Amino acid sequence: MDKLKKHEYSMDSCNHCGQCKWILPPKMSGWDFAEVCPIHHYHQFDSYSGQGLLNISKEVLTGRLKIGEGLEKVLYSCTMCGACDVNCKNVRDIEVIETIQALRELCVREGEIPAHLREMDQRLEQSGNIYGKSADDSFAWLPEDYADDENADTILFVGCSAYTHPEIALAAIKIMRAGGVKFKLLREERCCGGSLWRGGLEESAGRIIRENMYLFREHGVKRIITACGECFGAFRAIYPRFGEMDIEVKHISQIALELLRDGKIGLKSAEKPMKVTYHDPCMLGRLSETYVHWEGEIKPFGLHMPEKQWRRGFGGVYSEPRELINAIDGVELVEMPRNREDAYCCAYHSRETDPDMSAFAAAERRREAMSTGAEMIVSCCPFCIEALGDSETECCDLCVLLAAHLEEGGGV
Amino acid sequence: MSLPREAYEALAGVVGERYISAEEYILAGNRVKTPEVPFTYHSADAIVLPENTAQVQEIVRICNRYNICFVPLVSGVSAEAFANRAGTILIQLSRMNKIVEINEIDRYAVVEPGVRHVQLYPELRRRGLSYTAAAVGPGGSVLANFTSSSGDHHNQHNASRSNRYLLGVEMVLPDGAIVRTGSLASGAGWFCPDGPGPGLRGIMKGYFGNHGQLGIITRIAIGLNPCNGTAEIESEGISPFHKVRMPDPCSRVYVFNFSHIHDVRDAMLRIGEAEIAATVMKYFYLPATLMMTNSANEFWEKWPKYKEILKMPLVVHLAPRSEEELAYEEKILFEIVEETHGRRIPREIESWWDDHMDFFMIVSRLQSVLRLGGGWMPNKLAAESVSHICEIGRSIGDFIHDFTDTGKLFDAPENYQIIPMEYGHFAHIELLIMWDRTNPAAGKGVGEFRMRSRNNDIENHYHAETPGSLNASMMQIGPLYCNSHEWLRRIKESFDPSNIANPLM
Repeated sequence: MDKLKKHEYSMDSCNHCGQCKWILPPKMSGWDFAEVCPIHHYHQFDSYSGQGLLNISKEVLTGRLKIGEGLEKVLYSCTMCGACDVNCKNVRDIEVIETIQALRELCVREGEIPAHLREMDQRLEQSGNIYGKSADDSFAWLPEDYADDENADTILFVGCSAYTHPEIALAAIKIMRAGGVKFKLLREERCCGGSLWRGGLEESAGRIIRENMYLFREHGVKRIITACGECFGAFRAIYPRFGEMDIEVKHISQIALELLRDGKIGLKSAEKPMKVTYHDPCMLGRLSETYVHWEGEIKPFGLHMPEKQWRRGFGGVYSEPRELINAIDGVELVEMPRNREDAYCCAYHSRETDPDMSAFAAAERRREAMSTGAEMIVSCCPFCIEALGDSETECCDLCVLLAAHLEEGGGV
Repeated sequence: MSLPREAYEALAGVVGERYISAEEYILAGNRVKTPEVPFTYHSADAIVLPENTAQVQEIVRICNRYNICFVPLVSGVSAEAFANRAGTILIQLSRMNKIVEINEIDRYAVVEPGVRHVQLYPELRRRGLSYTAAAVGPGGSVLANFTSSSGDHHNQHNASRSNRYLLGVEMVLPDGAIVRTGSLASGAGWFCPDGPGPGLRGIMKGYFGNHGQLGIITRIAIGLNPCNGTAEIESEGISPFHKVRMPDPCSRVYVFNFSHIHDVRDAMLRIGEAEIAATVMKYFYLPATLMMTNSANEFWEKWPKYKEILKMPLVVHLAPRSEEELAYEEKILFEIVEETHGRRIPREIESWWDDHMDFFMIVSRLQSVLRLGGGWMPNKLAAESVSHICEIGRSIGDFIHDFTDTGKLFDAPENYQIIPMEYGHFAHIELLIMWDRTNPAAGKGVGEFRMRSRNNDIENHYHAETPGSLNASMMQIGPLYCNSHEWLRRIKESFDPSNIANPLM
């Protein structure tokens, strides 16, 4: 309850203005594609929103609502995408997503854990990855001729998705090899812990995160590169909560753009002209700003002492993927109305807890993507790729797209 | 659940199980008190989400059958959009969100309650049209803007307040009957608000309700203005650092600072007489500073300087249709300002307005007043002649210092805005007070201040305040307005004898 109590100022400062549910005016495009909160968009009750969850948090804090009386249904419908948080912080100094996180952690401490998260926790405990795959299989996708740069202090953190989408990790390797980046893989890497932490399982997530941090120190890691938006966001926004994170964290799109600008890699033209649209993953975009712990006092009229470094979504990775797509001759990037910090979440993470909403949100995002005239959705997160791709909608990871357009000479 | 089971089932039969709830965790989303109101709401017994007018009609009939009070709402930003008493359901109209029609030739739009500003505004701009959006933020209901608020807005200098643009309504009365007003009532469409057919606009449109509501408005038509901006809004940057520029060269913003409200008055009147400018407003300096900063800490850093530079700012937006017109308007404006003793503020502060000049953007940035953590409360909200309103603004200094100097209110005694309308025929005033809601003593001072403010108006015969939504304030202010409270009570009793349509405290 103490952690939730810390956010009481945020709960009390909400005046139901609705900015957590609607696109910011500079991005508005019309009647359609104006809602930014998937759960509110689907359910329409205000409880299903950042504002509603602030209200619920306040009532839990004051004892009017009890955990275990159904509020988990709303709480775990939330995709934790952070659109409410960024939109609210456009004009406020309120911590919306941190409050929802604190409420989830309270739920977990009181034993109210959704079954799929409990099972994920068990799988992680046993296997180190969210799918419960055997560690023996973890790098089975690597080509036989692959060799680490043993002395490298840069690692490619492949994440759990390498089990289900090895093509992404392979593409990342191909790009970095082509550009001459010295790196190695850590065969002992465990899940980044992001999904568990966002589910409110702070203790379990903390255990994994500390194991990874220990591993990084043991191997003298100075820089982590990841091709997974989820892992990227976890390293930047979650890991600093569990200890000093003095390791540089880069997304593959940042590395690839550097290599392209330095002339170390080249991109060939597309075989045929193609329109694509880019879907910003929440954990690569608005939620990936580095977390800086703040402890202090809120003086009258909002003065935070000492000054707080707010995470308003400004510092996410938005431009690099777009510049890379535009760098492929013949590929035209067309933007969806809800883009960058106002991107509409694919809702993958609520598949288990609110499947109808999750399916609705993914379909909504596909509809928005197709409304641009794009033939393909490009993204940087394996979960988004899974949620958005279907039999009629081609969805491709940025790494895979880039690797397919690398000029000759690169490769593992 | 205190709602009778039979009533719940009847309501569920209308909207379907998915769109009704009496679960505590759903009701919680609409019952926590907001920072600006001094009381705690009751909990609604249920929330229902109808899809169309027929469903609203059915719901209201059920409420009559079981003697259940109802409160309609959309976004819930208004302090009236909560359960005021036990035995109330909320009828949330967010699913009724169609833009029924946009008529570009006759310049009107027909919308349902759930259509938000952020949806209608770009649709109209695309067609070279605009409308009068009041300060409630992007998620606010357009319909509520026109029917349930004072309707004043930032660019009413060359236009008028929102209620003047209301062309007709479709309304479910408290007994479930449907009324359509003006030309709509005779099947002639939405073009005219006053006949042939009932002209309910005057009594339906209380600024804050007429002893509650007279029913649920399910559709409105609004008149539209031409918009000479770009069809698409071009923005750059990531939140909170967006910039939105209006097309050059026919858009200019000038901000002048004045020493005395009498000079502001003279400038306003003369600009109106010259019939130049799209927007003229003596803006509040506290929100102006908040809008230009991105955190409360940054506000506190800049406030000592800005409160002097922007102490009595007159913001003028010129939006003519040609460079020649622009040159003419600039010439006239500068002459007027010079003769009325205004001074341009430093360019580095004035330039902020260039990047945010679309007034809808400004409206949404205005939400940043909550950055200071609330409480806040708008006061006065009346409209009268420019001279009368400026005199009311001047008189605020006669009593506000007892509150600002003692810490009961935020120390910003000049924090009021005056916006002329219809080229200076009228003006609106809003005094925005803020207090430290974490300090109980400051909270108590708010009621005391409002009483002092009201008494000052009564003693000086000022038409400064619209009757509030609480019965007590209506009783006090009503006698100033031809006993309007008595008339409103009779109208309310005629329409709603059971007093179930949003009965107020």
